[in-house]
Amino acid sequence: MSVGTLPTPHLPGSPAARPSTARQRLRAGVGLRALHHLKVLETHPPVEWLEVHSENYFGQHSSQRRSLEKIRAHYLLSLHGVGLSLGSTDPLRLEHLSELADLVCDLEPVFVSEHLSWSSIDGRFTNDLLPLPYTEEALHHMVSRVSQVQEFLKRRILIENVSSYLQFSCSQVPEWEFLAALVHRSGCGILLDVNNLYVSAVNHGFDGCTYLEGIPPNAVQEVHLAGHVSHRIGQHSIRIDSHGTQVSEAVWNLYRAALQYFASPPALIEWDTDIPALEVLIAEAEKADRVAEALHALAA
Amino acid sequence: MLSLRELQRYFGAALFDSAPQAIMPWICSDGLDVESRICLYRNNLLQGFRKALALEFPVIQRLVGGDYFDQLALVFQGNYPSRSGNLHHIGEPFPQFLSGLLAGTGYSYLADVAALEWAHLIAMGAPEARPFDPKALLKFSSDSFPELCFTLHPGCRLLRSPYPVLRIWQVNQSEAEVTEIIDLDSGPDRILVRRGADDVELHRLLPGEFALLLVLANGATLGNAYDAACGADPRFNAGEALCRAVALGALTQPRVSRQSPS
Repeated sequence: MSVGTLPTPHLPGSPAARPSTARQRLRAGVGLRALHHLKVLETHPPVEWLEVHSENYFGQHSSQRRSLEKIRAHYLLSLHGVGLSLGSTDPLRLEHLSELADLVCDLEPVFVSEHLSWSSIDGRFTNDLLPLPYTEEALHHMVSRVSQVQEFLKRRILIENVSSYLQFSCSQVPEWEFLAALVHRSGCGILLDVNNLYVSAVNHGFDGCTYLEGIPPNAVQEVHLAGHVSHRIGQHSIRIDSHGTQVSEAVWNLYRAALQYFASPPALIEWDTDIPALEVLIAEAEKADRVAEALHALAA
Repeated sequence: MLSLRELQRYFGAALFDSAPQAIMPWICSDGLDVESRICLYRNNLLQGFRKALALEFPVIQRLVGGDYFDQLALVFQGNYPSRSGNLHHIGEPFPQFLSGLLAGTGYSYLADVAALEWAHLIAMGAPEARPFDPKALLKFSSDSFPELCFTLHPGCRLLRSPYPVLRIWQVNQSEAEVTEIIDLDSGPDRILVRRGADDVELHRLLPGEFALLLVLANGATLGNAYDAACGADPRFNAGEALCRAVALGALTQPRVSRQSPS
């Protein structure tokens, strides 16, 4: 299916000064958490865009939602969902989708994204991002769900790769082939989380560059950069996606490699636990910009 | 070949019911053993739920201590797993869970403290309780006033406890060590939880005020609510109580009985 470009923003009642979602090359942004709202409103940090977890802003009356609307007057926003459970064989939650649609309508985000995962079965939710088996049945299911959501929201969504700690023996193709097929059949975009890619690559013994080569370059619309930790379980070392530290050198290197494949999609610094001062996040975003600029200078 | 739904059910059983036997043969076993891999996800499930519950009930966590709270979270999750992709919903059955668990013990007050915490949280997401325009009453004759009905504003909730839960909640709002000793027999509390302009307010109500609002909230007429209020408090002052309720925005949609809200 062809989903096309971003729809013309619908602006009734919107402040005239709101940053436009018209296509522009974006510098690196940062994930916005509630504890930084006031600082953002008071100091207007030098970033072009901010990303939030959609579910935290459902409901029109919370002070957090109102605060975000004030922030939207000065910054582009991206909505990153964690709770739609797209890959679950349970029915799609229409009330959840409606809340998301309301938020999209209100905030006119530059990106709307979810995950290549599932998090619920028989009505019980793990509120985690569980990996899928990469089978034809699962692909058919994800295509159907992604298409349904894009139809409902009347826009293209980005699907993010998740960190994983296991693989299913019934998988018929590797994850990158599954993701490429999902893009081809549904018209969705890709949010490439380079940290998640690194974690999964180490945990499952594949080459991150093979993954980068295997996904359609024009589909990668956004990149996440985040931190992880290493744990020892017996004699084995496993990477755990903590999203709670600075981006590691190995992930910066994988990001440099990714930029050879993709035409500089905007990067976002994601930090979800042990959240540091806003200045730390801004500094990471500036580093991401320098990495991209250095590569462009080399290529020129 | 395993269907996707079967695979998800088997995996769900491993995570929610600690029953990994069915899914284990379907997980690649190179490197780290399969049980450890499943444990990583089970740990995420438990930790994520516990942290979200602690954010919703910080006063309960302070009162019972971190270790006991973690145990409570584990048992609560087993009985009431998350039913939504939005983690903000998990706490709704927690007061009822505590009520069942602690009934008949010296800790039954914790259920009412949890109910107050939950009501406060819900009010944060509710619309601001603004007073209705008094001109709306001009269309009613004074004869019809006893037949007036109101709706409790969605930004308001009423809570009653035999315990001094409001004071317990208040002293546990800061991180500082609490030295005040609160006598559990110094209740009861009758509380109006109200969504204000920027925050949630907790108002202690007199017995008559509470009875008036509770009866009105249940759909009764002003006349019936007045009788109930006088029954609860012989010194009940209807004029003051109604003015206070209207000023707080607690009452909305005035109408004569048997009419639908406009």
